[in-house]
Amino acid sequence: MVARRLGSKLLPRFTPAATLHSHATSFGFKEVNEEEKSQLVGNVFTKVASNYDIMNDLMSGGLHRLWKERLVSKLSPFPGMKHLDVAGGTGDVAFRILETINSVNRRAMEGTVEDDLREETQIYVCDINPNMLNVGKKRAQERGLGDLGSLVWVEGDAEKLTFKDDSMDGYTIAFGIRNVTHIEKVLAEAYRVLKKGGRFLCLELSHVDTPVFKQLYDYYSFSVIPVLGELVAGDRDSYQYLVESVRRFPPQEVFASMIADAGFQKVEYENLVGGVVAIHSGLKI
Amino acid sequence: MVRGSRVVEIISKTLSEMLVCPLSEQPLRVCEKSNSLISHAIGVSFPIVDGIPCLVPRDGEIVETDSDRTAADAKTDHKTAQE
Repeated sequence: MVARRLGSKLLPRFTPAATLHSHATSFGFKEVNEEEKSQLVGNVFTKVASNYDIMNDLMSGGLHRLWKERLVSKLSPFPGMKHLDVAGGTGDVAFRILETINSVNRRAMEGTVEDDLREETQIYVCDINPNMLNVGKKRAQERGLGDLGSLVWVEGDAEKLTFKDDSMDGYTIAFGIRNVTHIEKVLAEAYRVLKKGGRFLCLELSHVDTPVFKQLYDYYSFSVIPVLGELVAGDRDSYQYLVESVRRFPPQEVFASMIADAGFQKVEYENLVGGVVAIHSGLKI
Repeated sequence: MVRGSRVVEIISKTLSEMLVCPLSEQPLRVCEKSNSLISHAIGVSFPIVDGIPCLVPRDGEIVETDSDRTAADAKTDHKTAQE
């Protein structure tokens, strides 16, 4: 595990301000108007929604499941918590949180107070794309989580959340922040809705620096994934966007400084698989 | 399958505790008849589609409002929201 506090050695061309502007006007490697980006990304996710989970399994060799488990364990979910999972459309992270809270092992060790608390648990899944949410709702049914009332699905914008200030114990965003137009607005909103003591966690594809591995990863990303997208989902372009958007996203240290700029304390990140993904975390104190 | 009334129950509970209008950050009201959430402060309604409240700012629709709106005008809202 490689966790670090902020360093002061930021690469000159990757200053937060410059990065933010170029992020808002990039759609993968293409330049677009700020106003357009949201629409373009929306189109991608409307198209991929029905194949989203299969493609995740294929592209990551099933590893995305382990990454999400790691994310949830870092969250340390507790009964009665109010949690917000943003860009969580198909429900992967939300289900895991709920199942962790309700797990049999846990119940065996607890008493009746915790049972009541468990009913108070509320996991909000917020996504800007209704297709993704509908897939999530269906999966919740299949998994037996549909009727509990603990999962609340809301269509909303990560840049302008519909939740009250200081209302959430936890906030997660998994593989979502790369797709927003204004990263700083999302981070500011995350800070706003979290309670004092609340925790911010972000799981996202990130940057690999180690020499040989980087070449392999680049080859895999640009030569294999779009082809997989074509074969499995009949949609090469969406997956091309996906791999390009990963490269355009700020590197670990720069993103960490953006999180700190939003007001979070104890900002750290952990690289998984040599930096293919990173989990960034921060606390609202 | 989560029934309609249960959905409203969940949303009502959620509303009182957690949700506000994304634009004005003021409280929302559930309008069962029009199946929407109304933000009085700015006179906007947000739809509920398939049990999912759509609270993306651009989803809001302006509801016809009188210039001097008070809490007593809530009944008027019911009618205007239906139109």
